[in-house]
Amino acid sequence: MHCKNFQDRPFSRREMLRGCAMGFGGVAMRALMAGQAEAKVTHPLAPGIPHFRPKAKNVIFLYMDGGPSQVDTFDHKPLLKKYNGRDPKEVIGKLAPTQFDNVGKILQSPWEFKQRGESGAWVSDLFPHLGGTEVIDELAFVKSMTSRFSEHTFANYFLHTGSGFQGRPSMGAWFGYGLGSENENLPGFVVLNGGLIPPGGLDCFGAGFLPAAYQGSVFLPQAQPIANIQPRFSPEVQKRKLALLRELDLEALPDSEPDPQIEAAIQNYETAFRMQTAVPDLMNLRGEPDSVKKLYGLDADFEQTRTFGLQCLLARRLVERGVRFIELTCPNVGHDRWDQHKKLVDGHNRNCKTVDQPIAGLIKDLKRLGMLEDTLVVWSGEFGRTPFAQGADGRDHNPFGFTLWMAGGGVKGGSVVGETDEWGYKAVRDRYEIHDLHATMLHLLGVNHEKSTFRFSGRDMRLTDVHGHLIKEILG
Amino acid sequence: MRLFPKVLLFSFLLPVCLTASEELEFFEKRIRPVLAEKCYSCHAADAEKLKGGLQLDHLDHLLAGGETGPAIVPGETSGSLLIESIRYENEDLQMPPKEKLSPNIVADFETWINAGAAWPDEPVPQREGRSNDGYFDLQERFREHWSWRPVTNPELPAVSDTDWPRQSVDYFILEGIESLELRPAMEIEPSAWLRRVYLDLTGLPPTPDQLRTFLEDEKPGAEERVVDELLASPHFGEKWARHWMDLVRYAETYGHEFDYPIKHAHEYRDYLIRAFNTDVPYDQLIREHIAGDLIKSPRRNPDEHFNESILGTGFWYFHEATHAPTDVLANEADIMDNQIDVLGKSFLGLTISCARCHDHKFDAISTADYYALTAYLHGSARQEHPIDVHRVREKTRGALEKLKAKGNSMIEEEGHALIADPTAVEDFAEGIIPEGWSTSGFAFAGGGAGPGLRFDEKLPFTVPGTIDSGVYGKKQVGTLRSPTFTITEDHLHLLLRGNSIAVRLIIDNYQMARFNGLLFKGTDQEGIDTKGKFLWLTMSGDLNKYRGHKAYLEIVDDGDGYVILDEIRQSETGKAPPVPDYPEAPILTQPQLAILRKGEALVNALPVPRFAVAMAEGTKEDAKVYVRGSNRSPGEEVPPRFLEALGSGQGDRLALSNQIANSANPLTSRVMVNRIWHHLFGTGIVASVDDFGPMGQAPTHPELLDWLASDFSRNGWSVKGMIRNLVLSSAYRQSSSSHPALSPGYLAEVDPTNEKLSRMPVKRLTGESIRDSILLVSGNLNSKMYGPSVPTHRTAFMTGRGGRESGPLDGGSRRSVYGAVYRNFLSPFMLTFDVPSPFGPKGRRSVSNVPAQALVLMNDPFVIEQSHHWGGRVASKPVSAARKVDEMYLRAIGRSATPSEQEKILAFIEESEGDPGSRWAQVAHVLFNTKEFIFIP
Repeated sequence: MHCKNFQDRPFSRREMLRGCAMGFGGVAMRALMAGQAEAKVTHPLAPGIPHFRPKAKNVIFLYMDGGPSQVDTFDHKPLLKKYNGRDPKEVIGKLAPTQFDNVGKILQSPWEFKQRGESGAWVSDLFPHLGGTEVIDELAFVKSMTSRFSEHTFANYFLHTGSGFQGRPSMGAWFGYGLGSENENLPGFVVLNGGLIPPGGLDCFGAGFLPAAYQGSVFLPQAQPIANIQPRFSPEVQKRKLALLRELDLEALPDSEPDPQIEAAIQNYETAFRMQTAVPDLMNLRGEPDSVKKLYGLDADFEQTRTFGLQCLLARRLVERGVRFIELTCPNVGHDRWDQHKKLVDGHNRNCKTVDQPIAGLIKDLKRLGMLEDTLVVWSGEFGRTPFAQGADGRDHNPFGFTLWMAGGGVKGGSVVGETDEWGYKAVRDRYEIHDLHATMLHLLGVNHEKSTFRFSGRDMRLTDVHGHLIKEILG
Repeated sequence: MRLFPKVLLFSFLLPVCLTASEELEFFEKRIRPVLAEKCYSCHAADAEKLKGGLQLDHLDHLLAGGETGPAIVPGETSGSLLIESIRYENEDLQMPPKEKLSPNIVADFETWINAGAAWPDEPVPQREGRSNDGYFDLQERFREHWSWRPVTNPELPAVSDTDWPRQSVDYFILEGIESLELRPAMEIEPSAWLRRVYLDLTGLPPTPDQLRTFLEDEKPGAEERVVDELLASPHFGEKWARHWMDLVRYAETYGHEFDYPIKHAHEYRDYLIRAFNTDVPYDQLIREHIAGDLIKSPRRNPDEHFNESILGTGFWYFHEATHAPTDVLANEADIMDNQIDVLGKSFLGLTISCARCHDHKFDAISTADYYALTAYLHGSARQEHPIDVHRVREKTRGALEKLKAKGNSMIEEEGHALIADPTAVEDFAEGIIPEGWSTSGFAFAGGGAGPGLRFDEKLPFTVPGTIDSGVYGKKQVGTLRSPTFTITEDHLHLLLRGNSIAVRLIIDNYQMARFNGLLFKGTDQEGIDTKGKFLWLTMSGDLNKYRGHKAYLEIVDDGDGYVILDEIRQSETGKAPPVPDYPEAPILTQPQLAILRKGEALVNALPVPRFAVAMAEGTKEDAKVYVRGSNRSPGEEVPPRFLEALGSGQGDRLALSNQIANSANPLTSRVMVNRIWHHLFGTGIVASVDDFGPMGQAPTHPELLDWLASDFSRNGWSVKGMIRNLVLSSAYRQSSSSHPALSPGYLAEVDPTNEKLSRMPVKRLTGESIRDSILLVSGNLNSKMYGPSVPTHRTAFMTGRGGRESGPLDGGSRRSVYGAVYRNFLSPFMLTFDVPSPFGPKGRRSVSNVPAQALVLMNDPFVIEQSHHWGGRVASKPVSAARKVDEMYLRAIGRSATPSEQEKILAFIEESEGDPGSRWAQVAHVLFNTKEFIFIP
């Protein structure tokens, strides 16, 4: 606790609080401005100070739940074609145990690869929009990512929190802890849930041992995106009740030294009241031109494209409102998210159809608005998939080598780092792991991952634990 | 390895016979540059931080090796760790960490080692004065840190204001306050004290009647009487059990992808509530948790006489669990890590799990200590223990044993020793439960050497040389467990007869095969029915994956079935041996039939079985130290024992529990009194309640802590006694505003964080207390205790796999402690108010203060619904509006409304629209939202 709380105060806090009791809404802002110095002490989401000059201010994390296949998307491996149908144990050698232990033959990618853009990045036919010239040169690929787990829940927790187990703070919570939020009416960490909550549940977005204020708020892409945001009474009744509440609360405060906790709790009603307006305002797309909606695929035939398009558009609107960390989860495409243990072709086709146009639209729109340079966009699954089949037509989990990409603030578009072996199986050059991803993301937002710590259970905890190296090759 | 066949081909072209000078030249050209470039930043004398205790800058260092042993064996690539690591064969030891060396460099190293690892004669670089990553001196750490010192019994300190102290603790508090020339805060109003003590002890506010009774009680000792009443209230256990549940990460599902159920978890919760309500001495509670299954004369439930002690061991098993781990040993190690973490932090305030991968970075705990504790877990088994209400199962078995003796004496056929088959894992030749095998429940018994009476009219005689769960009737339940053995073949065959039973092969303590067969196909078979014949049950499927792993078998009869087990074999083939011919059973005589029917009638009267998850003794094992925490790098073996810093005492789990539940243990009593202090005073004397190690916080009042700890163990480890002393103290009676005569400026300067406790901190109610108080105040609280949990109410925002049916919005109006805890579907209301997600011990909850809490209280349908209940009740009372307001204040906030509050609320009512019920409901809703409702001043 900060000792400022206990110093003599220039004027009565009760008076100050009463000053904003004239009504809920606009007038309250004044009090917040007046009380800003102290708000820092009590308001955990007050903007924080980065360690050094940040390259980006916000993060949009496109979480590809289930693990997209690197060898079918961005990691082009011609050798798979040559050895298609052969026994991987013969041609690759010893294989690590797989999740489903149902190793089939070497499986060439069913999609054609081409080099795109000026950078010549390899992209398969699955991503026609991302592969477009306007977008592709903005992306920086890390083709040598590794995870430590080949089971979804472990790997999800690991990707989100830097630990394979439940209970650690999610990266979004760490960003909020380190940097605060620039909008007091919205949470600092928003998860736009397309329909699938990843294995591991909401703890993927939890605050862990950090204060609960940092936990991710799950928004559904619908008119009422979060629980309890809809007032249950008419605005008039609610205003009257809140006014009465405030009177009663203030009356009960002691004359001297009101407890800062209670003061903050009183203030929370102001914020909550304004959130009731801010959130519907966020969801109201009437001001968005049709051309923009189209860009995101809101008019697409495929329902899931429309859902993910809305998520991407909302992500941009959240960035505009200063929300620090936005994560998108995938819509349900009728298949098991990106987790194609079988029917790879159909499953990946549907997933790509869902995300390709909206993501490309997001990047173009951010560019158009000059926001891309302040926004870090990250696309990743929790692991990749095996270059050999699971059964006949699927691919199993593969934590040994997979691809992710980043774009936007501080990222050198068009760059590629790392390599998997000639099969696309294991990362062999410039291997990076999840901790390195976290370190790099924090770095781009001006946070030194080794210095952003929280004392818990006798240790100075970090998002990167005792690990983490910057992925320097892609830094602009 | 066939990864790079072409390149390997080249490497064979290299000369393998070199002269000495050629060898050195090869070293200088091909080896040293690589070492210098790729390894020396972490593995040389001048490395900033030496990793793994290994230097690679001289042959002597390579031969001496680091934490994992010698780096090379000259002439032997296969035994050289260095080669293993650069080949990236061992996933936990891949060097250089960032990038695999090219195959030809790896081949160079192989050539160099095969040729004898030549190194020029040069000085050996030493790391003088540089810190080693691995420096560890347990005794030095032990000597240096306060919490390892024995608990002392300090004298009460002298104080100036001798009128202030009521209890011994007050002397220590006042001494601290006076030492800074501060003053204790004024005494709180009696009504506020009552509210405080009600909420702290039971989690519920006083009713207006309870408040009036207290305020009107003018006889001396009114406070004592209230406290005794509250300690005797069943609600006390419901509040304090929940604190304990935070420590043992109580949950009713396993989390992960499908959130599979932890069945019978609520039996542990009920055990805790009963234990706190009956004030089971804390040392006993510890023994019951760690080794309740081994206590010779267990504590019995006073009403229903079942074994209470064993239920405590359930705490071991509230860990998360996933199905289909690709590395079952790693999975076991992770679960044990969590179990040791709970054990260490909950009972000892020690972060023992920090020593899993390396000796503790700060505390006197070695990696060997950690693995010595895991040895207890390796040597234990998880069981589903039948709760024997009124001991009726035990008594029935006893009665049937007597009847059987009588019936057996009428059988003429002699028993004969069968010849044991040495090729079988076990053939039960003697017809008794062999040594090393164990049972839960009262079902299993040996079939005997000759036929004996069996209480089943359809099969009235035992089969000689078998183990049988139906001897004493089909309605007895139980489990038979084999000793731990090594899986050596791909198939396991069991010769048995029975129905409605399960056979489980528990591999490396993996328990999830019953939910999902992935990667463990065939190892868990349920609903077995042999249609009245003996036959071979074969476990194949995925068994071949687990050759070399340890396992034990469980034969489970948990219902109305039976099983007769004759023989167990492992074999290379999936084809079972032929089923032998069984001799004809004797003819049942009329007198025998009469006995049999008598017994059957007794056993058929048994109630439906009830189970609890508990620990059972398995096969004693030493544990391998996993170097750097990896099961792929097993090191030395350690026997089961306690921490070296606390005497390394060996023995079974009961012996372990006695070393923890011991007044000589410097941590146990300190940790517990500090937890109680934390719950009553908001902050512990040691603020980091789960960490008494060097990274935890130092005690603000070390002498008080010791005084309390010694008082606690001296007075029978009574939790209620300790609570009673504290809530009757003057310290606890302080207002939360500092003494008016004290300058706030001075206070802020000398004690900004209120370490000296010169006033009471304001506490926010827990999530459970907020919800329970709303129910009590609205008049809806259902005070039914115990039993299966009420399913969590699911909202549209709680989606994902493993979802269960939604429970009622009001949780059946039961107290929150009876609400289900589904790991992947935790109650949003509870999460918003900081009820922890169950992953590890959490003795100190965070207390957040966020707008989401305001949104819940403003708009959550549960709160609105309860406001309507309350408003309706208020409206229908035939009293004046002013009186209604007063009663509402008394009920919700524990005091009368002030005239100004009266006025405001009456004006509000006046201006409101709608029927009286809904008008008063609006007021009720506002009162639920007041800060006084959720904060204890």
